[in-house]
Amino acid sequence: MNLRARRTLEFVLDNLVWFMLLFVLAVFSLFIPNYFQLGIFANIIEASSVLGVMSIGLALVVISGHMDLSVESVAALGAMAVGILFCSAGIGMGVRLEPEILMVPVSILIATAVGGLIGLLNGFLIVKVKMNAFIITLAAYIWVRGLVVAVSGGRSAQDLAPAIRWFGIQRFLGLPLTAWIAIACFAVFSLVMSKTPFGRHLIMIGGNETATFRAGIRVTRNLIIAFVLAGAIAGLAGWLLVVRTSGATANLGVGLLFNAFAAVVIGGVSLKGGVGSLPGVYAGVLLLSSINTAINLMGLPSNFTQVIHGLLVLAAVLLDTLKQTIRQKLA
Amino acid sequence: MSEPLLVLDDISRRYGAIEALKGISFSIGRGEVVALLGDNGAGKSTLVKIIAGGLEPTSGRMLFEGREFLAKTPAEAKAAGIETVYQDLSLCTNVDVVANFFMGREITRKVLGVPVLDETAMERVAGKALADAGTRIPSLRTKVEHLSGGQRQAIELNRFVHWGGKLVLLDEPFAALGVEQTRRGLAMIRQVAKQGIGVVIITHIMQQAFQVADRIVVIRQGVVAGDVPTSETSPDAVIGMITGETLAVPDRQRQGQTIRPAERERTT
Repeated sequence: MNLRARRTLEFVLDNLVWFMLLFVLAVFSLFIPNYFQLGIFANIIEASSVLGVMSIGLALVVISGHMDLSVESVAALGAMAVGILFCSAGIGMGVRLEPEILMVPVSILIATAVGGLIGLLNGFLIVKVKMNAFIITLAAYIWVRGLVVAVSGGRSAQDLAPAIRWFGIQRFLGLPLTAWIAIACFAVFSLVMSKTPFGRHLIMIGGNETATFRAGIRVTRNLIIAFVLAGAIAGLAGWLLVVRTSGATANLGVGLLFNAFAAVVIGGVSLKGGVGSLPGVYAGVLLLSSINTAINLMGLPSNFTQVIHGLLVLAAVLLDTLKQTIRQKLA
Repeated sequence: MSEPLLVLDDISRRYGAIEALKGISFSIGRGEVVALLGDNGAGKSTLVKIIAGGLEPTSGRMLFEGREFLAKTPAEAKAAGIETVYQDLSLCTNVDVVANFFMGREITRKVLGVPVLDETAMERVAGKALADAGTRIPSLRTKVEHLSGGQRQAIELNRFVHWGGKLVLLDEPFAALGVEQTRRGLAMIRQVAKQGIGVVIITHIMQQAFQVADRIVVIRQGVVAGDVPTSETSPDAVIGMITGETLAVPDRQRQGQTIRPAERERTT
């Protein structure tokens, strides 16, 4: 095979998920009435913002060769913290700040700080104390959700302060600001992963931790930062969640974890670590979201969504294996 | 030679009840190539890991450039000028040649205060270093997983030649290399030593040791079983030291030896 054909094939393999997304969108647009309209596409992007942000954090940790099952519960805790503080009904305390706009950065800060703290704890236990990431974050998945239920007493907070709520309503170029936040996060972290030494080191740690340690890269520090980032980003996802629903309930975001994993895997991130890129993950998120939208439009019972997501993950893993076989033949 | 570059003084290391190293003492001078020989399990790799900061000794001390120095991490060792090429390759196969060449030492430029990888500069430097060493790799942007074992080892060797430092530790660096590449690798080692860099090379191949080393140090069961200038010994004598035959007749062996560095340390 000549170099040109090989390059093309590699390009297709590297960006397979984008081609899948385009293909799926094209098929849906052709066969589902009313699918092809800008409003629907905006809706797809909008609906994927929470999942998208959460997937970024998860992807960071998975790319660096670890695992974080706690992101969903961490998001819920971040959401609940903001909900309790800034909602005025239910269990909300209705805290008001002057000027009102100050509540936006403060609430974001609280959500990310709560998430970052749990990420720090996870990271410390996994990287420093060398406990298994799967077990530690599974534990966090359970206890953090428990904490959400405990602090809320199982009740909910409603009526988010209008200044924060504004973010969920206000649109820019047809997309709500929450969606832009997700897009901005993807842009920023894509650049961090591909252009900065920190991102490069995370990818290399995921590829061969021993080698990076020997090369003098501060593996422990980088990995803990990755966990803290995953937590903080999950907190931000929680903030988006509270903004979108204008309140927080104890079971907020249940099930998001599996969608996040699905998106990460479909997006081409290898669970073995070291492989994957954030734009791919975003495509994975959009792919899930467009399929959801298609199911809604076709009027299928939403119970099918889960079946289809599951099959999609299977397909993604199969594709990944296939990709690796092709790559090995190329080499 | 004024003072040795590295002095190992009574280094020992236990793994639980097993004593991998039982008091190793020898020294390496600037620009000197020392071949570290010994049977499997003699403790060579353990010793290299200790010098390189990957492992802490149970006891003993190390003098580097005359100062007491024990690296706690590879990063510390590297900062002090100790480079290591390990026997199991230390490459990240999931990234390209350039990224591996610069692992942990990326060239960056500041964009809005944020360090950003300067890929063009890195590609230029890596390309030049590899070309100078005569390593042919189709594209520097190929992921290392697509390269052959020999190419991978060549990258690692070129990497240490490029970064130099003051002391280089090579743990069986030629295991995956072909004849021509090995020849080139040995030439590289001589060239590095000529720059005043101390080199420790672990090898199982007697011929390589005699080709490249100024001195041969043999480790047997965790102790130094022999420390002789290459010119004053023969492969047979060295094999004797490795297998321990000569321990039975220590007097005859001692005659051929110069004073062991540990003793030299104590006398001066």
